[in-house]
Order: sequence, then structure tokens, then C-alpha cells
Amino acid sequence: MTLTAETTETSTSTVLSSPWVTVVWNDPVNLMSYVAWVFRRYFGFSRAEAEVRMLQVHNDGRAVVATGSREEMERHVEAMHDFGLWATLTTADA
Amino acid sequence: MRAFESDGGGVVSALFEPVEALLLTQLASQVTELIDESRTHGATADLAILRLLPDAYPGDADASAEFRRFTAAELSERKVRNAATMIADVAPAACAAGPVEVRLDAASAGAWLRSLTDVRLVLATRLGITEDGAAAEGEDEESLMLGDVYDWLGFVQDSLVNALDD
Repeated sequence: MTLTAETTETSTSTVLSSPWVTVVWNDPVNLMSYVAWVFRRYFGFSRAEAEVRMLQVHNDGRAVVATGSREEMERHVEAMHDFGLWATLTTADA
Repeated sequence: MRAFESDGGGVVSALFEPVEALLLTQLASQVTELIDESRTHGATADLAILRLLPDAYPGDADASAEFRRFTAAELSERKVRNAATMIADVAPAACAAGPVEVRLDAASAGAWLRSLTDVRLVLATRLGITEDGAAAEGEDEESLMLGDVYDWLGFVQDSLVNALDD
């Protein structure tokens, strides 16, 4: 019971203090195959999930690929820039 | 060139003509020079550099500058290192008399994918490629040639991704 209570508390506080998202934007350079590979490789998405997010980037111009604290999202954005993807972070409600 | 293939065990290989290998080393060197120049002068006015190290906070110049201040040095260092890896891997093929097989382990392949991306991002900026499927605007000989190089780099990268997927 204690464990459950603690888990609930942690996840609530994480949600409340984590209104940040990592967004990957469509660009005319990066190959669809490469973007899907980066999503699998870095975020650990399944093949199907990576494909869905990649197509979302391609068709909608952007996709949210992660949610969490500002520090975490900054780490993700830096990693995306390392891969050459165009990524930004913003507050979730923006 | 023969496209990348999986050799099993995480190793991939492709066959490069000397002129293709030379082209890769030259392009990777040019990107390294561009990054080194921006590191020396701290300038982010160059569109290519802005694409390699884009704003992290859309519409917030101050936060973007702050992010760049904390990440640009390390990212630049990694991009230069990735280019150096690709150059070292492909250089022997550039001075060969005929096609040479280039073999990459997982670490090298990761460096190649990133460096090929950086080279293509810089070329795209120079060519004015701003939309999906947009061709180079210039009709002059150099733009046409660079356009061909850009397309070829896309082929190399796509074949590398596919080989890693096998």
C-alpha cells in the first residue's frame, strides 16, 4: 500500500512540475528512414511507433516525441540536434 | 558505389569509387572548417550553422541563446568528431586505384549517419532547399553539380540506414 501511495504521489508531482514537451519539426533534408531510425534508436520506440511519429512529422509538420521536465526535454533536444534533427522544446500548454 | 549491406554482427559495408571517397572526405572537411570557424568567431549568423545548431526555444531568443551557450561547444565537438570518423574510414578508399570496400562497425555507422546529415544540411542551405521535394533554385553548373552530390549523399545515407535495419 505504501508503495502504491508513493508511486501515485511521485507521478502526480511529476505531472504537475513537468509541463514541457520535445517537438521534432519537419525539414526538407532529413530522410524519412533516418528520422524513424533516430526515434527507435534514441527514444526506444517500437518500429510501428517510430513510423507513426515520423509520418506525423512529415504530414503535420511536427510531432511531440517526449514529455517531462524542462531539463529532460533540453537533453532530448540536444540529442536531436546531435542527430541533425530540427527539435525544440516548449511548455505543453503552449 | 555499391550500396551499404549488412555483413551481420552489426557490421555494414559498401563499395566506394576513389572519386566518391575523395568527395566524402572533402565535404566532411568543409563542414568541419565551417564549424571551427563558428567556434572561433562565435558567430551564429551563418544559415548553415543555424541549421546545425538550431534555436531550441521557438520565439524566445534569450532562452535559445542560453541553450546554445550550454550546448554548442559539446555539439560542435561531437559533429567535428563524427566528421573525423567518416574521413578516417573512407580516406584509404580515396587514394586507391579502384573501388574499395569500406566496413563500418556500429559506432562508425552512427558517426557516419550524423555526419552525412550535417553535410546534407549544409549543402541544402547553400542550395536554398527549403521545402520537401524542392529542387535547387540555381540553374548554373555548380548548383546542378551540388544538387547531384546532395542527392547522392541521400542515397548513401538511406542505404546505410537500411543496412543497419537488416
